[in-house]
Amino acid sequence: MKIEDVVCPFCGCLCDDLVVQVEGNRVVNVENGCTLANEKFMGDHRLETPIRRSGKKWERISYDEAIAETAGILLDADRPLLYGWSGTYGEAQTIGVHLAEVLGAVIDNTSTVCHGPSIMAIQEVGHPGCTLGQIKNRADVVIYWAANPIEAHPRHMSRYTTFADGFFVKNAFRERKVIVVDVRETDSSQIADEFVKVNPGGDYAILSALRAIVRGKRDIIPPNVEGVSREQLFRVAEICMAAKFGAIFFGVGLTMASGKYKNIRNAIELTEELNRHTKFTISPMRGHWNVYGSNEVFTWITGYPYAVDFARGIAFYNPGETTSVDILRRGECDACLVVASDPGAHFPRACAEHLARIPTIQIDPHVNATTHLSQIQIPVAVTGIDAEGTAYRMDGVPLRTRKLFQGSHPDDLEVLEKIYAIVREAKG
Amino acid sequence: MKFFLNTGRTIKQGSFVERKNSPAYLEEASTLRMNPVDMMDLMVEDGDHVSVRSGVGEVVMRVRPNPGLARGRTFVCLGPYANHIVSPETHGTGMPDFKATMVIIEPTGNPVSSVAALMGSCGGVPYED
Ligand code: SF4
Repeated sequence: MKIEDVVCPFCGCLCDDLVVQVEGNRVVNVENGCTLANEKFMGDHRLETPIRRSGKKWERISYDEAIAETAGILLDADRPLLYGWSGTYGEAQTIGVHLAEVLGAVIDNTSTVCHGPSIMAIQEVGHPGCTLGQIKNRADVVIYWAANPIEAHPRHMSRYTTFADGFFVKNAFRERKVIVVDVRETDSSQIADEFVKVNPGGDYAILSALRAIVRGKRDIIPPNVEGVSREQLFRVAEICMAAKFGAIFFGVGLTMASGKYKNIRNAIELTEELNRHTKFTISPMRGHWNVYGSNEVFTWITGYPYAVDFARGIAFYNPGETTSVDILRRGECDACLVVASDPGAHFPRACAEHLARIPTIQIDPHVNATTHLSQIQIPVAVTGIDAEGTAYRMDGVPLRTRKLFQGSHPDDLEVLEKIYAIVREAKG
Repeated sequence: MKFFLNTGRTIKQGSFVERKNSPAYLEEASTLRMNPVDMMDLMVEDGDHVSVRSGVGEVVMRVRPNPGLARGRTFVCLGPYANHIVSPETHGTGMPDFKATMVIIEPTGNPVSSVAALMGSCGGVPYED
């Protein structure tokens, strides 16, 4: 059976034009997807049943046992952490937030280690953003700053920028100028009209220099700023100011480098400066599929986008204190529920060590690095393949994913609802 | 020798991200890219093992030349190998310095651990699927 207009469940682009061929309960062919999408859909290596660590061994257990034990661990904990959520859909994320509230837990999503700093900057100075459709149809200048879309979001350029013809940009490849700013050469920098190679940690200075130039203060710019010549900075500023519609996309190269959220604040303020001359927008390249949705869901229920602490009975948010890496590095939480992400692989080692010390439960379809650190793993259906739900694209557009076949695993929502029901009853 | 360690996504990392016990993931996540001239200085060749040490730990990776990197800079895709030596300090932002670790790199004859063994060394129990 051929299914059209399938939404890809891998990266934040949420490409919704895939054609997927299904035979029984397997995907046998994918059209229009990138390499990452093909691997995601065709992957056939799921964990079969729930597993539990007992001593130095692993044993298979039933779903009912795994769910009851998970609820018991969470109920016993004084300071549970519920982490992850980007790889699942909004309906499951919603139950996660309610579960955190009844438990008095901390709930955090993967933006804590990707675009959390971008959100902090947006909270300070706002977000002059727009949908990807606007950029596709209008932008004649596109800047990728500290991002490598060819490897991280492989179809971003072909669907929305460099190679995508738009309503007002009839021949994108010729008419759109692409500027890449990065600390190293990448596949993306190779196709840029202008590649600005900046010293590591030098982004803040480059952004400040560009702001000064756009303000008309060329005379204060030194000959070289963080490895970039004054002439190139003048050229980049001129390209931007001559644009009819410019779009900046920035990656985690900015949020993770020194300066963190201050880099993003500076980039947003450059965008504001450019808007005195022309139309410019700025957008984060959200990476892990529905991470944007986790920010939306957390915010509409608690008022905060990530790192929400319910220990006081009300929602409290303070990045640096209530963020997962800090809670784990301080050895603060005494149980952790990981849903649809892999902190074992993506957090610093000190955090992995704490996950191994406490009872960690993982709800995830696949064996990953966190599996080895866990007490229990509950395999679930893969969202967008055999589970359906709502996810948000990187520009905040919600899309409904499809269930392509009936698999043999329960989905995130079913498992979380059962855990929630037990906890709710115990809490009265 | 002292180097600057940067991390980021690669297509191969993304392709095998749901198969972290696979040899392909291991190979990608434990490959350290380095300027070829630095490799000559270190007297290592493509595929040789190196010990990568930071202020918080040490991990063995295999080295691969990448002329796109400036001298003194190295790159590893994000994942458990890079994170083995990243400090958990977040400077009050929640975000560690994933892209800015100073490391000392030396040739070594030690083997590259599997992901499961690496997690075992963090206190976990390897699950072989
Ligand atoms: S670019 Fe992202 S969303 Fe689009 S097909 Fe590739 S992995 Fe999927």
